[in-house]
Amino acid sequence: MSTGFQEKEYNADSLDTGLWKKIINLLGSQKKNLYLLFLFMFFVAVLDVVFPILNKIAIDYFVVGKGSHDELVGFGVLYLLLLVTQSIFVYNFLCQSGKIEMGFSYHVRKTAFEKLQLLSYSYYDKTPTGWIMARMTSDIARLAEILAWSLVDLVWGLAVMIGVSLVMFVVNWKMALLVLMVVPILAYVSVWFQTRILKNYRKVRQVNSKITGAFSEGIAGAKTTKTMVLENHNLKEFNALTKEMREKSIQSAILSSLFMPIVIGLGAISIGALLWYGGNQVLIYGMEFGTLMMFTQYANQFFEPLRQIARLLAELQMAQASAERVLTLLEEEPQIVDTEEVMEQYGTVLEPKVENYPVMKGDVRFEHVNFSYLPEEPVLVDFNLDVKAGQTIALVGETGSGKSTIVNLLCRFYEPVDGKILIDGVDYKKRSIGWLHSNLGYVLQSPHLFSGTVKENIRYGRMDATDEDIIRAAKLAHAHDFIMKLEKGYDTDVGEGGGRLSTGEKQLVSFARAILADPKLFILDEATASIDTETEKVIQDAIEKILTDRTSFVVAHRLSTIVNADQILVMKNGRIMEQGTHEELLVLHGYYYQLYTNQFQEDLQRELLGA
Amino acid sequence: MKNIRFIWGLMDKVRWKQLLIFGVVAIYVLINLVSPLIFSFLIDNVINQEPITQPLLLLLANLVGSVDVIRENLWIGALLIVGLNMILGYVIFIRGKWNAEISETVACNLRNQLYHHLQLLPYSYHVKVKTGDLLQRCTSDVETIRRFLAGQLSEMVYSVLTAVIAIIILFNIHVKLAWIACAILPVIVLIAFVFFKRMQASFQKSDEAEGVLSTTIQENLSGMRVVRAFHQEKYEIDKLEKHNAQFRDLTYQVIRNLAFYWGGSDFVCLTQILVVILFGILEAQAGNLSTGNFFVFVSYEGMILWPMRNLGRILSDMGKMTVSIGRIHEILDTPIEDVKTGLMPDLKGDIEFKDVSFQYDDGDTTVIEGVNFTVKKGQTVAIMGPTGSGKSSLMYLLTRLYDCTAGEILINGVNIKEIQKEYLRKNVGIVLQEPFLFSRSIFDNIRIADPVAEKDQVYRVAKIASVHDVIQKFDLGYDTLVGEKGVTLSGGQKQRIAIARTLIKDTPILIFDDSLSAVDTQTDAAIRNELEKMAGSMTMFLITQRVSSAQHADQILVLEDKKITQRGTHEELIQQEGLYQRIYEIQTSMQKVGD
Repeated sequence: MSTGFQEKEYNADSLDTGLWKKIINLLGSQKKNLYLLFLFMFFVAVLDVVFPILNKIAIDYFVVGKGSHDELVGFGVLYLLLLVTQSIFVYNFLCQSGKIEMGFSYHVRKTAFEKLQLLSYSYYDKTPTGWIMARMTSDIARLAEILAWSLVDLVWGLAVMIGVSLVMFVVNWKMALLVLMVVPILAYVSVWFQTRILKNYRKVRQVNSKITGAFSEGIAGAKTTKTMVLENHNLKEFNALTKEMREKSIQSAILSSLFMPIVIGLGAISIGALLWYGGNQVLIYGMEFGTLMMFTQYANQFFEPLRQIARLLAELQMAQASAERVLTLLEEEPQIVDTEEVMEQYGTVLEPKVENYPVMKGDVRFEHVNFSYLPEEPVLVDFNLDVKAGQTIALVGETGSGKSTIVNLLCRFYEPVDGKILIDGVDYKKRSIGWLHSNLGYVLQSPHLFSGTVKENIRYGRMDATDEDIIRAAKLAHAHDFIMKLEKGYDTDVGEGGGRLSTGEKQLVSFARAILADPKLFILDEATASIDTETEKVIQDAIEKILTDRTSFVVAHRLSTIVNADQILVMKNGRIMEQGTHEELLVLHGYYYQLYTNQFQEDLQRELLGA
Repeated sequence: MKNIRFIWGLMDKVRWKQLLIFGVVAIYVLINLVSPLIFSFLIDNVINQEPITQPLLLLLANLVGSVDVIRENLWIGALLIVGLNMILGYVIFIRGKWNAEISETVACNLRNQLYHHLQLLPYSYHVKVKTGDLLQRCTSDVETIRRFLAGQLSEMVYSVLTAVIAIIILFNIHVKLAWIACAILPVIVLIAFVFFKRMQASFQKSDEAEGVLSTTIQENLSGMRVVRAFHQEKYEIDKLEKHNAQFRDLTYQVIRNLAFYWGGSDFVCLTQILVVILFGILEAQAGNLSTGNFFVFVSYEGMILWPMRNLGRILSDMGKMTVSIGRIHEILDTPIEDVKTGLMPDLKGDIEFKDVSFQYDDGDTTVIEGVNFTVKKGQTVAIMGPTGSGKSSLMYLLTRLYDCTAGEILINGVNIKEIQKEYLRKNVGIVLQEPFLFSRSIFDNIRIADPVAEKDQVYRVAKIASVHDVIQKFDLGYDTLVGEKGVTLSGGQKQRIAIARTLIKDTPILIFDDSLSAVDTQTDAAIRNELEKMAGSMTMFLITQRVSSAQHADQILVLEDKKITQRGTHEELIQQEGLYQRIYEIQTSMQKVGD
């Protein structure tokens, strides 16, 4: 039994340099686009400076200075040329940002998805799907958007501020100090707000994910809600959540709305002081008017990006929160991995060297296997089992007795804590995961189908199968008849998660899928439980045929389905209570006998009575 | 218009703020238009001692005495700047605060409405719909609307007000040049409009691609076991690659459209400024325009044009919002179930199915055809039949998850179509084959239909469902969290908890929709034993595949290919040639092998 999921959170309340280093690394995939972006940005900025100069020429030279008509034409043509250039640069600059945004999110999503395919099964046992989904969709999108549009602005704004400050100090350090005197206060205020905004944002995000969860539950559980008339009950709970969201968001917005006025106010104080001091310098001490003029312009240029930076910092903090979440996913390491040597020989999961795969015979041995999901709760203790190729093993026992654990270990979803599992006499850790899984067929208690057609779902067992192979497999699984009755036969869309098929039909399709895979190791996990008895019987027949030459493990509640097994393992509390064939176990008059007689007591009586 | 009314309706108690915010924005616009004038007054007229040409500024100067007074007390000027910016800051703060209050209120109301609506949509809707897509509509589409109201709406007002006020001032200065200055505005609005139209389609495509992308990820995650077992990791990665790249490309297309708009409108606006400059120069050279007024023209032209251009962007966001509202409307326009009207008769009585048929609303898939049967009050009915024979649908008709398309179903003589749905469902308990547990403790899950139920009540039903001991073995016992964020339970455990939570209500009619399928036969028998003790007061339907479960029923119905083919007691049916006998033989023959 796995425990409740605990979310890992970074605890940095301010900008975390380590984190940003990792983000910048991730941005590495966009290096070329970034260079181009800064180039375009530079040109746009240069032209932004040129246009006011042109306007000044218009006043000084033409309006005041009465320049000639010919010169005016020349001026017009130059202006026109520059504005065309400007438009082109703006277009390219924006396209470049877009390229970075989409390229980045594409790349991170891809990397994360590949990671997800490799993470150990235990990860999925303890991590809710919604948690992963949020990271894969909204967090990546937000991070990419902010990086491409805001981070770039921020870098640019900082560069402008530094440049302006340098020039001001060179020209007149006293007046430069006057302009910059508010900077320490600004810095302090920024940090103060930054921490609070980030904290608030986290709260908002938490409530938001609760709301998403509630929506998802509301949709997935709609049927249950209806049958139990829980509409009002659910709505009340949901309303409480949205109310909390509203309050937290408003709080957070008020905080952000305060920041900007403070920056503007401080900027105004700086410019006011400059005007007072500088004006007096001009009027009383005869400072050049041009210098004051220039300084007021510089001051405006200095504070303009600062207004933006208020917004940008807030966004960056959001990006950081998203980045934290995305990075926890990217940094998750698979627990079960092949060793270097194994990968060398058999390739990785994604790039297998199929040509090196040895043919699997199907002998399976569990040698002194110990296993526990949690260190203090052992599930299997000194478990031993010897299975010859082609044998059928039935696993019998109560829920939680360890049946599923054996399957999980055999599939190498988990590995033994102690001891070894040998396949064809070789520790399966010495062969690759890919090798094992490509020889494995697996039918689950609650079958999972993917969106798409029936045919595509069956083909999932073996991608290179022809349509004939698929039909053959479907016939073997007795799925063919019901499939042909569907509107479009094999091309019928099964809906999300196979939702348009009944549970029994889904199971038949999942059988066909497993049969198509033609595995050496076949696992049935309580698979027959919800198929009607008649269908179950036919499937049973088919499976018996399929199981020849295959080692198979059947986890079933119904003893009738496993009576023909070569070995029956009766499990209790992680140990084998009894082991043997049906006949041998009955003779023991033990636990199996008890289970068996309990189940069929009534039937037996009835038969004895000749009913 | 429809969209405005929709949003207006959602604003509810903050409508007055939405109206007042327009006034707040107007103050903001005025300060923005005036402050450059004041600044240049201080610089040019006060400090640089140029003569005042602006009548407005002259008035201002005379207010404090004369320009000289200000010149000798420069702190007045400094204070003016600081004061003006303080007001500006305050206005910005109020705007931000109110915008947040408005947008969050709308989002909150919209979420509530959506959730409420989703809950009341008929069962047939939930069967068909893709959850990923629906979830996206409930989250990101709401977010798009919220974001528009949080900033863009007041920015839009700002753009329009700036233009209007600036144009009025310009017309007061020089009518002919003012006309030229405005010449381009219709063109910009037209470009914005065309652009806005074009964006709508590409946004929708990008949104749809995002929906497909998240469904793909979602399915991969929920089917991880299958992915691993069939070693299809690479295939999955390729599949994602396709959708991931498609989403990237379609969204990039959107951004490129945006970039084209910005670049193009830059061109148009700058050309317009050039035209104003050239004409202004000619007029000034002809002596019809003062230098100061030329300066006002050029700077106000920028002030009109840039926000106008921004209007295009806001309109495009409005396009996004229209798409979002449209997608939300698709949900809200789907008719919901009326669960509140109808009769509330006594349901403790006989149940009668008269010639009941049922077709899906596509009109050609028949699921049940001409089913007739009567169940006496307190009887237990077992229903058996092959997969897809219509067993579950038959029972859904009884709780009106579906309504029968022909014939009638009577409970205690009342046609159930006349009974209030909520009342009906409260009185007809149904345990589903694949039950859904909510993310909360087991305890709260069991008493979810009766949130005030006491401990002993919860324990009692858990014991009947044979799950009490299992729960007690968990570390946290009844406080164990289940559902999305909790522990993973086995199918059998889930089914038993679902039985317990249905039993807590004490309904006169109870349906088990193959809800013991994942429970082993021994536990199955134990649960049935407990249930039999309750029988008599309760009419029970038992969909099952096990003869051992069915044999004690007062009546067994065999359903094959949409129709009832056999009915009777266990003793009768095992004598009859047919499906039941075959099932019986199969299930007992398997057991004979062991002897």
